[in-house]
Amino acid sequence: MSTDRLVSIEPLAADPVAMKTVVAAESPRGASQNKICGLDVGSTTCKYVLASGDSHSLAQAYERHNTKQAEKVLEFLVHLETHYHLTPGQDRIFFTGSGAGIIAPLVGGKVIQEVVAVASAVEKLHPSVRFVSEIGGEDMKTIFFTGEASTKSKQVLMQSACSGGTGTFIEKTARKLEISPERLSKMRYEGYTLHKVSSKCGIFAEADANTLLKAGVSVEEIIASLFEAVVYQNLATLTRGNTPMPEILLLGGPNLFFTGLQEAWRHHLAKLWRERKVAMPEGKDPTSMIRVPDDALYYAAQGCVEVGLREPQSTGVYQGTDKLRWWIEEGQHEEKKKLGRGGLWKDPQELAAFKARYGNGDGNGHSNSNGNGKGSAKDIHSSLAQPVLPPIGKLGPVVVGCDFGSTTAKAVCLSPEKDLLFSCYALSRGNPIEDAKSLFRQVRAAIGEGEIVALAITGYGKDLLKGILGADCPVVETIAHAAAGLHFFPDADCICDVGGVDVKIMILNNGAVTDFRLNSQCSSGNGAFLQGVAERFQIPMNDMADRAFEARAMPQLSMGCGVFLQSDIVNQQRKGWQADEILAGLCAILPLNVWIYAGGLNNLQQVGKKYILQGGTHKNLAVVKTQVDFILSKIPEAEVVVHPHSGEAGAIGAALVALEWREKGGRTAFRGFDAIEKLSYKTTTSVDTVCHWCPVTCQRSFIDVELEGAKGREWSNVPLSSGWERVIVNNSCPKGLMEDLNEMKVVKAGIERTKNAFPNIADLVRKEAFRRAAT
Amino acid sequence: MPFQTLRTWFEKKPSVEPPRKDRSQLSVGIARVLNVWSTHQFWVGFLKELGISSENIVFSSDTSEEQGREFGKGRGTVDCCYPVKCISGHYGELVFGQKKKINILLSPMIHSLPSLLHGHVVDTVTCTRVMAGPETIKAGFLKERDVFAENKIVYASPFVSLGDRHMVTEQLFTPLRDVFDLNLEETARAVQAGFQALDNFTAKARQRSRDILTWCAQNGKPCILVLARPYHMDPGIGHEIEGELQAHGYPILWLQYLPGDDDLVNWLFETDLKMGRIKNPFDISDVWTSSYSSNTNEIMWGAKFATRCPWITCVVRLSSYECGMDQPTYTPSQKIVEATGTLYFKFGDLDATKPSGGIKIRVETIVHYLSKYSEEIIQRKLNYLSPNCPLADIAARQQPSFKAVSAPAAAAAEALTAE
Repeated sequence: MSTDRLVSIEPLAADPVAMKTVVAAESPRGASQNKICGLDVGSTTCKYVLASGDSHSLAQAYERHNTKQAEKVLEFLVHLETHYHLTPGQDRIFFTGSGAGIIAPLVGGKVIQEVVAVASAVEKLHPSVRFVSEIGGEDMKTIFFTGEASTKSKQVLMQSACSGGTGTFIEKTARKLEISPERLSKMRYEGYTLHKVSSKCGIFAEADANTLLKAGVSVEEIIASLFEAVVYQNLATLTRGNTPMPEILLLGGPNLFFTGLQEAWRHHLAKLWRERKVAMPEGKDPTSMIRVPDDALYYAAQGCVEVGLREPQSTGVYQGTDKLRWWIEEGQHEEKKKLGRGGLWKDPQELAAFKARYGNGDGNGHSNSNGNGKGSAKDIHSSLAQPVLPPIGKLGPVVVGCDFGSTTAKAVCLSPEKDLLFSCYALSRGNPIEDAKSLFRQVRAAIGEGEIVALAITGYGKDLLKGILGADCPVVETIAHAAAGLHFFPDADCICDVGGVDVKIMILNNGAVTDFRLNSQCSSGNGAFLQGVAERFQIPMNDMADRAFEARAMPQLSMGCGVFLQSDIVNQQRKGWQADEILAGLCAILPLNVWIYAGGLNNLQQVGKKYILQGGTHKNLAVVKTQVDFILSKIPEAEVVVHPHSGEAGAIGAALVALEWREKGGRTAFRGFDAIEKLSYKTTTSVDTVCHWCPVTCQRSFIDVELEGAKGREWSNVPLSSGWERVIVNNSCPKGLMEDLNEMKVVKAGIERTKNAFPNIADLVRKEAFRRAAT
Repeated sequence: MPFQTLRTWFEKKPSVEPPRKDRSQLSVGIARVLNVWSTHQFWVGFLKELGISSENIVFSSDTSEEQGREFGKGRGTVDCCYPVKCISGHYGELVFGQKKKINILLSPMIHSLPSLLHGHVVDTVTCTRVMAGPETIKAGFLKERDVFAENKIVYASPFVSLGDRHMVTEQLFTPLRDVFDLNLEETARAVQAGFQALDNFTAKARQRSRDILTWCAQNGKPCILVLARPYHMDPGIGHEIEGELQAHGYPILWLQYLPGDDDLVNWLFETDLKMGRIKNPFDISDVWTSSYSSNTNEIMWGAKFATRCPWITCVVRLSSYECGMDQPTYTPSQKIVEATGTLYFKFGDLDATKPSGGIKIRVETIVHYLSKYSEEIIQRKLNYLSPNCPLADIAARQQPSFKAVSAPAAAAAEALTAE
């Protein structure tokens, strides 16, 4: 028993008024009456307040429960029974918080809605408070009080679907930055330069923090920026037109523990009051109107006591711990089975049939039987589905497609008859010139005496390298993927590409990409998350699918925010679910995250009937299974196929576009292997190459390549004479590809010239429709 | 402050022609939002005729995130329509962000709109949510304290049916007479001046569109038509997506200002008229029977125009997040446009909180298809039409053997009955 770890709390020191009541509580007269206990079972901690029948506080404590809510409550109750004579059948108990619903009935307690509880405590202890912000581990709430005494009313706003603005949001990033909780609690807000941190999603905030850190921003500034983001998110989403008026009470763990967060609140509220000309009571300065009571943690529990006191004596009578013990030892595991669902497959025959169609053992998409066996794949170039490599060095004329992605660069060679002759890749080393050289060395070795008759590039590198390599077709990713998809499956309606960090959905109509969804703002639904969980369970990537298929049952995880999904997993583990089962559960919700949460496609019917799955995450057969099952459940007659060259789809598509261009009479501008091999360049990394488009100030590098006919950059801070071409690298966002304001001016002038030549009616409206002078 | 009030209005009892009132010191702010984007010049003409000087007519700036953050933060109201939500920033800017304080904030509740299709459709009313937007938004400025009164601003939000011109004088006179110290005659004059100014601008814009089409016809070049609501011209609402396409060398038309000249529409809709499918080129009853909403009607007509007009090779649809008015028009407008092989791309759910897609990639995708297929599309659509094009001599470009009589009309009808 760890009772010695219970934090002992001084009498409530919240308000002078409240103080008096509590001081009075030290008199022994409360003992004769039935006691009343308020228990707040939150997402990260449990808190209790024990009071005498006339509302004098007898004891209170809080502890983290590490996702074992029921166990912690039991521990508390045992402690209260032993030390404070909490008596079954006599004393009363009231619960609030996210875990209250399950636990309260087991011990005879009544559930009080959280906000009601908090509001009751605030009304009693701080009658003059007009606005309360309570930030919890996974939720945030605000309460506005208006009117006085009998006409007093309250408006409550809360959100708990997204991690933005909650305690988890701060802690998750702090953990990543390896800041101890003690240090975090003392870190400040005021006086630091603030940087833009995504206030919406915890996972992206973490990414932003990483970028800032890489750029050399101090940890202190990053944390201050996090506090800023949390307060901004609370004010932006939870005030809805109301001005928080003094006095203000800040409650909940994060508000209490993080000094910097309190400072951020004070800064923002004082500023808001100045702007809105909110009068302060005489002689008071705004910051004194914002209070954080020492026992801010206990307000919900305290409120339970207050509400409980108004309830009839027969409500919430404590029934002892027997049922709760049963629940912990047996009940919750039975519950697990009831709440869970079957595994990823109905019966062995079904799984076998699935594996026969899509699996072929390795499930990595390189076999020729990836569920494409319905005979609908275009048969004319069957060799494309199964590369036939002639002896190295003996290829004829080829069309080359390159895909310069963020982590790898790939190249493929197609014959003019669209046969896939060769493919290779190079891991990106941050210098696209070297990556290109590496690719073309491999291609040269492969085609030997052969000749490149057309060259296309896709991926982020397409604009950078077009001129340097002499590429004929820079192909946008969507077109490349569509071309590759339609080549194999001419009747496809949709291509779903789930990669490591992003989700792309391309909707096709009459052979054209008519709609395109890219999930880049929210981490939900991507493959990196799945991989992260597998790593935590120490399951190798290649075993992931098999382990998931072993599960006979799996937990029902919640769709949406990846941050909460993580804590959901911990919860499920606590309920006794095993790694295999949790992996299966994760695979099962992936389609929901991909299509509904990230893609925003609630109605797959409108998308079409034939789906191509590609991208790294679909190498996991368990994911393919859940994707297929999900799509079929929406559209029974749908057909789902896995792209036979999932990884090279972009490069193949680019090559197909180049081939078409050639067939229309295009003659290649490819510079030739020797020219590429001999490309000479100089790299500049200095203060002049730092990006200033945003506060992250990435340290970019300029790679200047000597190239006949290049225009140079006379206007640049790092001037470049003609005959040289510049490639910008080490930028962390597309904006950084633009050198600086000088280049922006040059580019804009060009755009303006085009725009003047090709008018837009909206420009006429914008320029003239609001004119006041005679037109 | 020389500001006319109720008292002065009642004190004056004009017996004969009243002297023109001096309103030159009065400053009026107008929120540049919603359907003000298609009725702009009406308000300018109206106010100027009342004697408000040009420099005292102030429009809020284009919608922007900064505007919302600086002036609208904390004054938001619950509304699912993003363009409506943005009004708080505009109001805030007019109240707090002007060097010279305004006296009157004019934010009309526009109930119906002037329309090229007037008389050929059931009605030309606006979206109710958009119409009532000012009512929703003003709450954020009155809820705690009357922010307008504190800043000595009169908030005027007349309900007005600009689609029914004969009603407008009465509708503006009643709510505005105390605000501006008006009498009925001068209100009538001002309304007339307002419509004159609006009509002038609209005619000019339609002529500009015709010029663009003429250039396309003479040079065999493609252009793009935007199907959207007028306020998508606001850079903060439409995000200037069409500007990205324009920068690739394509002229941009907007359905609001398509040319409605007889020679042109009679040529485009010739077959449909001959077949009796429609009674008039502006008749949309073949594709849209419940033709009440002005902007929706025009979107449908724009789709019909685009599918027939050879040089409009691509239609770009813009729609804000969860727009209930746009919802039922998505599929019909798409099917109509695509009936002749015209390209159609939708940027839906603009400003949704959920992620949608990289605009740059999508624009490059569209440009790819435009450059690949435009020529073919122009040729195909030319073959559907008679050689008597009023814009350019096209006879030489047509391939008579392909001259199918009513292919587009039939295809469009087919697409719709399938709905």
